[in-house]
Amino acid sequence: MTELLQNLINGLAIGSVYAIFALGYTLVFSILGIINFAHGAVFTLGAYFTYTLVVGQFENNGLIKGINLFPAGSPFHGSAWAFAAAALIGAVLSGLVAVVIERLAFRPMRARGADPLLALVSSLGVALVIVNLIQILVGAESYSFPTDIYGDLKPALIFSLGGKLIVVRTVQVIIFAVSMVLLLILGYVIGRTRIGKALRAVAENPGTASLLGISVTRFIIITFFLSGFLGGLAGTLVSTAFSVAGPYFGVAYGLKGLAVIVLGGLGSIPGAVVGGLVIGLAEAFVPAEYSAYKDAVAFALLFVILLIRPQGLLGRVQIQKV
Amino acid sequence: MDFLQTYGFLIVTMLQQGLLGLSLYFPLMAGQLSLASPGFYALGGYIAAIMLTAPQFAGWRDALGSWIFPVTWLFSALASAVLGVIVGVPALRLRGIYLALATIAFVQILQVLSLNLSITGGAVGLFAIPQAFGFVDRWQYIWIFLPTVIVVLLFAHRLQGSRVGRAFRAIREDELAADAMGIPPTRYKVLAFVIGAVLAGVVGAMSAPFLNTWNARQGTFDASIAFLAYTLIGGSRSMWGPLLGGALLASLPELLRSLADWRLVINGLVLVVASLYLPQGIVGALGRLRRKAPPQRPVTPSTPALGDTP
Amino acid sequence: MRTLTAILALGLASVSLAEKVTTPLPIGIAVAQTSNTALLGQEQVIGARFAEKYINARGGVNGTPIRLVFQDTGGDEAGAINAFQNLITKDKVVGIVGPTLSQQAFSADPIADRAKVPVLGPSNTAKGIPQIGPFIARVSAPVSVVAPNAVRTALRLDPKIKKVAVLYAQNDAFSTSETGTFQQTAKDQGLNVLTVQKFLTTDSDFTTQVTAVLNADVDLVIVSGLANDGGNLVKQLRQLGYKGSIIGGNGMNTSNMFPVCQQFCDGIIIAQAYSPAQPSANNQLFVKEYSAQYKKAPPQFAAQAFTAVQVYVDALKVIDRKKKLAEWELADLRVELNTQILAGKYNTPLGVISFDKDGEVQQKDFYVAQIKMKDAKTGTFVFLK
Repeated sequence: MTELLQNLINGLAIGSVYAIFALGYTLVFSILGIINFAHGAVFTLGAYFTYTLVVGQFENNGLIKGINLFPAGSPFHGSAWAFAAAALIGAVLSGLVAVVIERLAFRPMRARGADPLLALVSSLGVALVIVNLIQILVGAESYSFPTDIYGDLKPALIFSLGGKLIVVRTVQVIIFAVSMVLLLILGYVIGRTRIGKALRAVAENPGTASLLGISVTRFIIITFFLSGFLGGLAGTLVSTAFSVAGPYFGVAYGLKGLAVIVLGGLGSIPGAVVGGLVIGLAEAFVPAEYSAYKDAVAFALLFVILLIRPQGLLGRVQIQKV
Repeated sequence: MDFLQTYGFLIVTMLQQGLLGLSLYFPLMAGQLSLASPGFYALGGYIAAIMLTAPQFAGWRDALGSWIFPVTWLFSALASAVLGVIVGVPALRLRGIYLALATIAFVQILQVLSLNLSITGGAVGLFAIPQAFGFVDRWQYIWIFLPTVIVVLLFAHRLQGSRVGRAFRAIREDELAADAMGIPPTRYKVLAFVIGAVLAGVVGAMSAPFLNTWNARQGTFDASIAFLAYTLIGGSRSMWGPLLGGALLASLPELLRSLADWRLVINGLVLVVASLYLPQGIVGALGRLRRKAPPQRPVTPSTPALGDTP
Repeated sequence: MRTLTAILALGLASVSLAEKVTTPLPIGIAVAQTSNTALLGQEQVIGARFAEKYINARGGVNGTPIRLVFQDTGGDEAGAINAFQNLITKDKVVGIVGPTLSQQAFSADPIADRAKVPVLGPSNTAKGIPQIGPFIARVSAPVSVVAPNAVRTALRLDPKIKKVAVLYAQNDAFSTSETGTFQQTAKDQGLNVLTVQKFLTTDSDFTTQVTAVLNADVDLVIVSGLANDGGNLVKQLRQLGYKGSIIGGNGMNTSNMFPVCQQFCDGIIIAQAYSPAQPSANNQLFVKEYSAQYKKAPPQFAAQAFTAVQVYVDALKVIDRKKKLAEWELADLRVELNTQILAGKYNTPLGVISFDKDGEVQQKDFYVAQIKMKDAKTGTFVFLK
């Protein structure tokens, strides 16, 4: 029983990391029908932006070495609110980067009516550029946030149940809560507001949307900003749980994130969260002696789901156009 | 001579990656975007590496001499064909990006397996693989890869003109219509998939001695995406596209070698610029140059060529 | 078939023209400067660059300066082969230091061996590397000799240890072989291994592994991993309430781990193939100059890269005394250099080392250190006698 409960907690904890990564990933797909591989790199950037604001010091291996941005201590370090401000600024900067990426790497392609698969290659190129620029600037080593960024919260909650321990890390409770809140906000914005209606119209049919007087380009920019914002915020949160683990930190989630958004239903926003939690739970329930095969579980699940229900768990059935 | 020594490996790698690009082309002939090639490439390499190093096969190696190498190609081809049918029959019910994702999942599952089995050498992999036909220098592998490229191109050319090729094309253009005309789509799609799988498997078997070692890092998600880039940047409508795309993109990081730390940044920029300015791929762009400007068609982003969602 | 083979192999028989050795003496460094292996490679670059400066400031090879030629291997096998080919034929180096990963070594080392160019592996620890060929040697000691000391030391610090959990990164060649040694040593010491958990170097969430450890109620955890994953694992072990001892494998012998586990790094017992505390005059000078330049003690990867360059220079000095280097043909010098490397004895930052006939390093001193964190960022490896 305790083991079941612990697995459940572990699964939700890691699953919410997958979910929060996938939110921005799936948002772009839902509007544009393209998979943006640069999302992992934007996720990484978010973490680096926030780290720069909160700590502002880098090690020996990049071009920016030995510089201390805040000799008198960072204004973004000291209280949980200051950290939250830094995380928001980091997310806004990531959103702006995503807008630039859209302008340079996706819009010209749309204008030419290119195969949407080319967006995979182009965004892969963008990811390569970003990841390597990070490495050239600040080196490949890990950086970590100070431990007091969330104020005096204890690092973990530990219960005893029937002689067995049940543990959960505070930061993972935060990630879980934030991913749920983001999901609700995003659901509200898309489902209830005028912006959301316009976004859905653009997603359904860009041609008709522009006939209706909706500026398609503007809404695509908004989509990318939101995606980058969510990605950057996710990067910061996840890196507070682990560390800013080098320039390839976010890219490593890209592949798992792909499994998550397909499982939930490509383009479905609640689907990204459900997909993340399902994969997290599936991995957590892999028995210890088969833990080596844990990574195959997500993909086996993906393969099977695709065969039974290609639109994913929460995706809509699309009518085949002939 | 020094040139061959320095760049021989690169030249053969260009052919090898071109072949892997071509392995995506066969399913594409029938309109199927499969990214499963790295999986079959890894499988073929493992079969060759095991047959060439495992003590259980010592008898075979002694008896066959240099003939062991073609035998490894044959076994890899057979294994890839069998696995291709097993994976292809269910997976080819999917289309477009969904098929691509399912095949990526297949590659991942194979990779986790190879990392965990003892016969594949775990994380270290298999090493001390004997050299094909007593080759010493890397460039000598051109004697294997160049003929393979020629054979595959001839085969693709013949296939295009054959009844099967016409069936592939019919399915690519319109699957329902093809079915109505009495072409069973599933059978032909699986056939096209298996041809690609066999090619990738054989290239893997040839590559194991070429790389001296084989491990779980050979068939990865990164490779899936790289092969996709070969096809799209090279051009997916002609057999020359993936070949050219593979050869050029594989050589890019080497051509940029002198840039040291900056070379991957430039490599990334090239990928972006190529996808923006060569939407039909290199071969498509060359074809347009030759045929002069075709009548301008209105741009309709809602009718994509490959990434058709179901 | 055989005649065909002969014809193919002959093809264009390689006729390398006699070439003299160029000065300054080129030594090739083929490590990962890009890709996610660069985390390890960048330390090797620093170590090698430092060696070049240090050695040339002291007269190089009997007055002739050395020049390091860097060729990036990236993280894959093909990149390593390309880097080696460039160094061998284009840059005409006398010998190569590299590559970073064992998997890359199995791919690229045979190339150098067939071309009769000496290779010194700075960080390849997998079984079978020196056996690739006569021209392949390494300065990185295989795991089997480094790991057991740490277990014995942990037992000395806390004799009550009985129950053990072992964790390792199953996609890392080094960690998978190291864990075998750790598990064997634990059994030999009469310890009870209650759980063995695997993870990936790309993992960051270890809650599953940590809960398994906590529920097994062990008093020693042995981790074989690299800086990032190992650091995160330790951090999560401590955050979730594990109180017992922790041993980290040799992959975690780097200050790169400090920013990851911060104050939770405190107390980890580390198996070291290199220690800045190694008392030889050579090492102390190296540590002093390195610390002055980089504001931290040299990490193991940098020290091993330094050592590899130094071995080349020391061997070249011996050859130069017999016959001036400028008079050698490059091909002959490479062969002679290889022979001399295996014959010599070297007083390096790793201590006194030599090589056996295969090219396996014979290192006398291994170390066990305990991490002491001064604050969240700065820590030191305290040498345990």
